[in-house]
Amino acid sequence: MAIADELELVRAQALADIAAAKSSEELDKVRVAVIGKSGALTKYLRSMGEVPKEERAQVGRAVNEARAVVEEALAARKETISQDELAAAIDAAAVDITLPGRAQQIGSRHLVSRITDEISEVFLGLGYNVVEGPEVETDYYNFTALNAPADHPSRSMADTFYVVDRSGEKSAVKGESDVLLRTQTSGVQVHTMEDQELPIYIIAPGKVYRRDVADPSHLPQFHQIEGLAIDKGITFGDLKGTLEFFCRQVFGQDRKTRFRAHYFPFTEPSAEVDVSCGICHGEGCRFCKHTGWLEILGCGMVDPNVLEMSGIDSEVYSGFAFGVGVERVACLKYNVPDLRMLLEGDMRFLRQF
Amino acid sequence: MKVSLKWLNEYVDVPQDVKAFCDRLDLTGTGVEGAESRGATFEHIVCGQIVSKEPHPDSDHMWVTMVDVGDMHVGDDGKPEPLQIVCGAQNFEAGDHIVVALAGAELPGGITIKKSKLRGVVSNGMNCSERELGLGDDHAGIMILPEDAPVGVPFAEYAGLTDTVLDLEITPNRPDCLSIAGMAREVGAMYATEVRDPLPEMAAKLDECFGGDVPVEDEVRITIEDSVRCPRYTARVIHGVKIGPSPAWMVERLAAIGQRSINNIVDVTNYILYLFGQPLHSFDLNKLKGADGKAHIVVRAALEGERLQTLDGEDRDLIPDMTVISTPEHGAVALAGVMGGMESEVTEETTDILLEAATFEPGRTSRTSRNLGLISESSLRYERGVDDNDIDIRSAAAAALMVEVAGGTVSRAATNDAGIVDVWERKSAPKALTFRIPRFNDMMGALVDDDFIIDRLTRLGCEVRATDDPDELAVSAPTFRPDLEREIDLYEEVLRLWGMDRIVSTLPGSRERKGSRTPEQTVVSTINAVMRASGLNETMTYSFSDPRDLALMRMDAEGLGEPVELINPLNAEQSLMRQTIIVNLLRSVAYNLSRGVKNVQLYEIGTVFSTGEGRKRPKERKKLAGVLAGAMHEAGWNAPEQPFDFFDGKGVLESLARELSLPKVRFKALSAEEAPHLQPGRAAEMLAGGADIGWVGEVHPLALAAFDVHVPVVAFELDVAALVKMTQPSRPYVDVSAYPSVDVDVAFVVDEGVTHEKLVQCMTSAGGKLLEGIRLFDVYRDEKRLGANKKSMAYALTYRANDRTLTSAEVEHAYGRMVQKVCGATGAVVRS
Repeated sequence: MAIADELELVRAQALADIAAAKSSEELDKVRVAVIGKSGALTKYLRSMGEVPKEERAQVGRAVNEARAVVEEALAARKETISQDELAAAIDAAAVDITLPGRAQQIGSRHLVSRITDEISEVFLGLGYNVVEGPEVETDYYNFTALNAPADHPSRSMADTFYVVDRSGEKSAVKGESDVLLRTQTSGVQVHTMEDQELPIYIIAPGKVYRRDVADPSHLPQFHQIEGLAIDKGITFGDLKGTLEFFCRQVFGQDRKTRFRAHYFPFTEPSAEVDVSCGICHGEGCRFCKHTGWLEILGCGMVDPNVLEMSGIDSEVYSGFAFGVGVERVACLKYNVPDLRMLLEGDMRFLRQF
Repeated sequence: MKVSLKWLNEYVDVPQDVKAFCDRLDLTGTGVEGAESRGATFEHIVCGQIVSKEPHPDSDHMWVTMVDVGDMHVGDDGKPEPLQIVCGAQNFEAGDHIVVALAGAELPGGITIKKSKLRGVVSNGMNCSERELGLGDDHAGIMILPEDAPVGVPFAEYAGLTDTVLDLEITPNRPDCLSIAGMAREVGAMYATEVRDPLPEMAAKLDECFGGDVPVEDEVRITIEDSVRCPRYTARVIHGVKIGPSPAWMVERLAAIGQRSINNIVDVTNYILYLFGQPLHSFDLNKLKGADGKAHIVVRAALEGERLQTLDGEDRDLIPDMTVISTPEHGAVALAGVMGGMESEVTEETTDILLEAATFEPGRTSRTSRNLGLISESSLRYERGVDDNDIDIRSAAAAALMVEVAGGTVSRAATNDAGIVDVWERKSAPKALTFRIPRFNDMMGALVDDDFIIDRLTRLGCEVRATDDPDELAVSAPTFRPDLEREIDLYEEVLRLWGMDRIVSTLPGSRERKGSRTPEQTVVSTINAVMRASGLNETMTYSFSDPRDLALMRMDAEGLGEPVELINPLNAEQSLMRQTIIVNLLRSVAYNLSRGVKNVQLYEIGTVFSTGEGRKRPKERKKLAGVLAGAMHEAGWNAPEQPFDFFDGKGVLESLARELSLPKVRFKALSAEEAPHLQPGRAAEMLAGGADIGWVGEVHPLALAAFDVHVPVVAFELDVAALVKMTQPSRPYVDVSAYPSVDVDVAFVVDEGVTHEKLVQCMTSAGGKLLEGIRLFDVYRDEKRLGANKKSMAYALTYRANDRTLTSAEVEHAYGRMVQKVCGATGAVVRS
């Protein structure tokens, strides 16, 4: 048989094998068998010496042509096969994407902290510093410097926790001491007025204590956020504007506020602030005891006595102060049925926030 | 305080719209805590007439009555039909007009009337006594109405009982509002409307009540030993009274505000108290008299060990801080300002009255009340302040009213026309104040005109005069308003009456405001973020602790200071302030376990307390504490459940150290002696920059058992101040090398005692600057292959230079030198 015919056969066989190859491996076998070192086509190039001289150029050309055709077919087939293989691999790798992901557990923030953060952010934005103070206070900072009368019932052993005074000083009232667990964060106001330069714009979040047996609506320890602004020209209008802004930020833009005149020893004039009920929107319902309003904080213009006791000239400076119960806000926002849940550490409760 | 609007309306026109009135009270400072329609409590209670009265067939004291209730009961034919009612009273006859509670009626005591059978006889209601209706004490028989009482008319309508009673919250600065007349003045100022003061007319009636020949001075002498305790004491004598029931109008008024009628004399004292806020006391004069026939009233400090039986029947032990009314012969006869004594009480036999009207020191009254746990309508008013002026006039009104309801005559006085013995050593005077109108408006952010200010202050009882300065008013505050002491107190009055709702809302205009957190707050905020990112849930526990806690926890008390003791704890289990947070967190673990929650990850940032001899205020330290029990999560389809161990706790602290850029962090093993509350061998101290930060470890099984925790718990407690102190603002930047690294693995076989930390130290110091990273990737133990008490520690080492690509010769050299030194220093053998 003529070499040309042989080459034609080899080429045809190779192209058929390439077309039949199902995988990269099979295709590679075909490649080795045809154009590998000892492949069917390569063999002709190697044995060129045996080809008569006058035919060499022709045969060489034919072999190279055949090789080029085979290589082209191989490349084309390889492309197809690898596409198929990739598609198959992708198919095989599909998962049920509704299976749970590999999530890291993120811990939760305590509800009281969450609300404290929220309120703090509002006031930081208004230019207030966040300050803290001691939980155990002297009678002076908790009551006297806040203008509380000497015989005020809130000072009694029934309402305030007293701790043993180790300084050796004796208290004026038998059985009591001058050292107590603070009943309000207002003492921080006094420390701030004594220590800081004017003007003062602060809020003081913190734990406070009152001698109430724990029940669904009382805790012997809870949290307050006290606010204080002292500057030249502070007005009652400023107090109103500030607290209205606060209420809208915390409870929602659609909520209304109202100021009811009230009495506190350390502010004058004093007011209690109500926010419109979020459930009935002021119509009156069980949640707001049919008043349409929910009481949320106490406030007022800082009493001149309080300013003077801290060495601030009440003719030059004026200010306002307010106190919010954090648990109260928590209850209003989340309707927590039993305050004791806040102190139990029940994972099922904590993980909700 | 309860206020009957019907009564109040006598002295000021109360708006018809009760809801709007209540809102206005609320906004102006008088909180409305409740509004009760009094007619409503008499629903299904009607006027009736006894048609017939037959003995009960099965009882010797009950009667079967037929009662005509008009349209209130109709038969099948639609016509009125008498009701059959079984009745146990004896004081009535057929034809009497009575009060009938029909089925469905609710009596003030809470009893609901139902159709029932009494010893077999059907009874369709109840014939009521005064007491059953809450109108008086009389329960001897049913209430008999006058013959002209209509039949079948609601009783409340007939008796004019339809009324609204408000329960008002009077703030402690407003003693003047603790009376009907005071509230009338307040309402007058609220609405700028006329007020009719009943006092002058009532007091004027005294002129017609004088009688007898003995001047009051011959029967009464008053000595006040300390005028601070008692600024004013007055007495009158009324002879020949007849103790009996009070007239219906007075009974009704008192009943409306929740005061039960007692007898005519006591009722008058209560009536004047509620009407004018003046506490009074009526003594039986003859029980005060001494041998000389004279009642010598001595107002003095109680004696140490003195006792008094008060009107409520309790024997009271008195102390010298308390003030008593006494006589030389009878000792203490009343607790000044709080309650009268049993011995000198007015009884049915009393004929002669000594009427006390006085004022006592607020602070002492408040303390006495608190010390004895005895709060009365009198003490409530005295502790807030009763005006010493006009006491004589209020007493005159009371004496005249006593004569009106109980007969008798009031003794004249030899020394005055008023018939009074009056010792008044300490007088209060109106306070002169200045009201600067522009300053008020500036401070409130308001624009209130002068006329409004003058008008409202005047209606509140102030005298207001113009001054030479048109911007200033001269204000004289009345003595019944002890709270009006300063200019600012007047501002409050004007503002609340003008309306806080009318003030335009603004924000402070300062240019110097800047909101920031302290460095500590910023660190605490990072700590919170790391804890949550580590999967821990924030909690809060009590700041209190049980005195046994530290011992149960096996915690070394040394270094924790002395505990802070509460003088008045709620209970023994909460009698100290906590010295550690861990104990309460363990309790929370137990709480969760007992409720079937087995994976618990909690942390708390809170204060611990300690004290010592000579300290007034305790030392407070903020701590971060955490507990891990169970696992982070239950087994998932692609994640096995991995029970927590020491390294989970340590890992949290390592993350924290990284986030706070703590320098030179080390964990040092804690021995059983150093940390008895932790399991030896799984306990460590955390150090940063050489400073103690806190501890981490697995809690000792015995400590766990003491708190009913029966699973392992990993815990840590760090000092927040130490963390804040060691926190670095940022880590220095290190160039990222552009050249490739060479990675080499090495496994050292060492004795068990050689720690990872030791090996890393050796590798680092011997590794040279080319050794960039060391990562432990395997710890392997096999007694057969490695020998007893040996372990293989396999490390992946990274070599890199910043300025060139390393050659293998360089790496081999550095590696060889490092291995040689490590082996020399630790006795390690390189495992091939």
